[in-house]
Amino acid sequence: MIAVFRRDMQGFFRSPLGYVYIGAFLAIMNLYFFATCVLASSSDVGSVFSNMLIVFLFLMPILTMRLFSEEYKQGTDRLLLTAPVSVWEIVGGKFFAAVGVLLTALLCTLPWIGIIALFGTPAWADILGCYIAVLCASAVFAAMGLFLSSLTESQLIAAVLSFALFLGLYVADMLSYSMDSSRLPGRLLSWLSIFTRYDSFMSGQFSLGNLIYFLSLTGLFLFFTARVLERRRL
Amino acid sequence: MIQVTGLTRRFGDLTAVSDLTFSVKEGEIVGFLGPNGAGKTTTMNMLTGCLRATAGTVCVDGADIETDADRARRIIGYLPENPPLYPDMTVEEYLRFVFRLKKCTLPRGEHLDSVCAMAGLSDVRGRLIRNLSRGYRQRVGLAQALIGDPKVLILDEPTIGLDPRQIIELREVIRRLGERHTVILSSHILSEVQEVCDRVLVLHHGRIAADGTPAQLRARAAQTEQLGMTIEGEPQAVLAVLRAVPGVTDAALSDENGKKSVYHITAEPDTDIRRAVFNALSQHSMVILSMQQVERSLEDIFLALTETEDTADAAQPERLPHKKKFPWFGRKRGGDQ
Repeated sequence: MIAVFRRDMQGFFRSPLGYVYIGAFLAIMNLYFFATCVLASSSDVGSVFSNMLIVFLFLMPILTMRLFSEEYKQGTDRLLLTAPVSVWEIVGGKFFAAVGVLLTALLCTLPWIGIIALFGTPAWADILGCYIAVLCASAVFAAMGLFLSSLTESQLIAAVLSFALFLGLYVADMLSYSMDSSRLPGRLLSWLSIFTRYDSFMSGQFSLGNLIYFLSLTGLFLFFTARVLERRRL
Repeated sequence: MIQVTGLTRRFGDLTAVSDLTFSVKEGEIVGFLGPNGAGKTTTMNMLTGCLRATAGTVCVDGADIETDADRARRIIGYLPENPPLYPDMTVEEYLRFVFRLKKCTLPRGEHLDSVCAMAGLSDVRGRLIRNLSRGYRQRVGLAQALIGDPKVLILDEPTIGLDPRQIIELREVIRRLGERHTVILSSHILSEVQEVCDRVLVLHHGRIAADGTPAQLRARAAQTEQLGMTIEGEPQAVLAVLRAVPGVTDAALSDENGKKSVYHITAEPDTDIRRAVFNALSQHSMVILSMQQVERSLEDIFLALTETEDTADAAQPERLPHKKKFPWFGRKRGGDQ
C-alpha cells in the first residue's frame, strides 16, 4: 500500500499539476479568508470553511480523474494486479494519496490560524472541528472520484462524471431546502446531504453521527472501487 | 514448476482459450507460438492472475494462482505485451517503485544493480522513461519482471517492435535467463521460438495444436515423406507410373517443363518410397534427373497445423476481444490476443 501511495503522491508533485492545483486552491481560499476574516475583523473561520467544500467540489475531479484511468491507459494496471498486493492495498494507496494532497493543501491554510491568534482569540475547538470536517467530507468526494476513475480509461470521462455527481449532490442539497422537511422525501434528502451535515459542523456542532456518515460513505465507495478492480479480471 | 489443467476462458460467446492442459518443468524455456488471436495473451494473462479463468486451474510451484495468489505472484515475473511503464518516472525511480510494490526483501542496491546489468540498463538509470526508445522501454519492462528474482518469467511478445540487432541481444538475454529461471514466452515468429526455446506449444484458436521440441515438431512433419523429382518423360505417363507405386499417396506436377518436368510426390508416413519409385521409373525407361527428400521447415509445419485446425473449426471466430467483458467492444478495436 505504501508503494502505491508514494508513487501516486510523488506522481502528483512530479508534474506542475500538483503545484498549480494547490496554488489555485490557496488563491481562492485566501481571498475568502481575507474577505470574511481579515476585512471583517472576525475570528470565525467557520464561514471560510463552509465555502471550502464547494471549492473542493470543483477541484476534486481533477485530483482523482487520473488515479485509475491513467493506469488503464498506460497498461500499468497489469503491474499492480500481478504484484503480490491485494486490490485493497491498491485502492487504499491511491485513496490516501488523494487525501495526502488534500492534507497538503489544508496544511497550507494553517497561517490563517496564526493570523487569527496574532490579532484575536481563536476558538481552538471550532477550528479543529472545521479541519476534521473538511477532511472527512472531502474524503467522501475523493472516494467517489476514485470510484468513477476506476470505471473508465478516459481521464476526461472520469472528470466529467465526477463533476456531474458532485454538482448533482449539491443541487440535491439545495432542493432539500425548498422541500417540506416534515415529509419523508425532504427529510431523506437533507439526511443524505453531505453539505447539510457539513454545515452543521461549521456552525460549531460536533456530531459523531455526521462523522460516521462521512466515513462510512467513504468506505462504501472504496469498497465499490475494489469491486470494480476485481471485476476487471473477470 | 507450472501445472495448467483444463484452462478455459470465454468472452461472452467467444472461447478464447479452450481446455488447455500442459505443464512446464523447472528451467525450461517454453515458447507459445500461434497466429494473432490464437489466445497467447489471454493464456498468459491467466497464468499471471491478471485475468480470471472461466474454468481450470493454474498452479505455480505448488501455489494456485487464485487461492494462493499472494505466493504465486511472488514466483512470477510478468512482462505484458506493452511494458507497464510510468513515463513520468526515471528508470531508477520506477524500478525502486516495483521493488517496493513486490515487497522484495533482497538487498535493494545490489539487486537493482544486477537486474539493470542483466537487462542492459546500467547507462540509462537516471533517464526519464518517457525519453527512452522503444528498445530500452522493452528492457525496462524486462527489468521490472526480473525484480524479486522470480522463479518463473512470463514474457509476452518480448521482441515485438525491436530492431534486428535488439532482437538478437534480447534473445541472448532470454537464453541467459533460462539458465536460472523457468521462462514462458510468446511469439508469432517461428525462427525466434526455434532459436530460444527448449519446447514449443503451438496454439491455435485457443487450443494446443502441437507440443514438443522444435526438432520433434520438425520430425513430426517429416513423417509424411515428400520427394521432389525431376523426371524425363511425358508428364501424364510419368504421373500415372508414380501414382501406381505402392506407398505413394499423391503425385503432382510442380513445375511443368515439357519432357523434363518437376514432380512433387507425397508418401504414406514412415515409408521410404525412393527405392520403389526408382524401380518403377526404370521399368518404364523414365530417367530420373534429380531426386531429393523435401524437409519441411517449421514454417510449413506451423502453417499445416494451423490450416487443418482452421478447416476443423471454421465456426471459430478469427479475432477475439481482449480483456473486455463485452465482445463487441473488443471486436471494434480488433483486439489482438
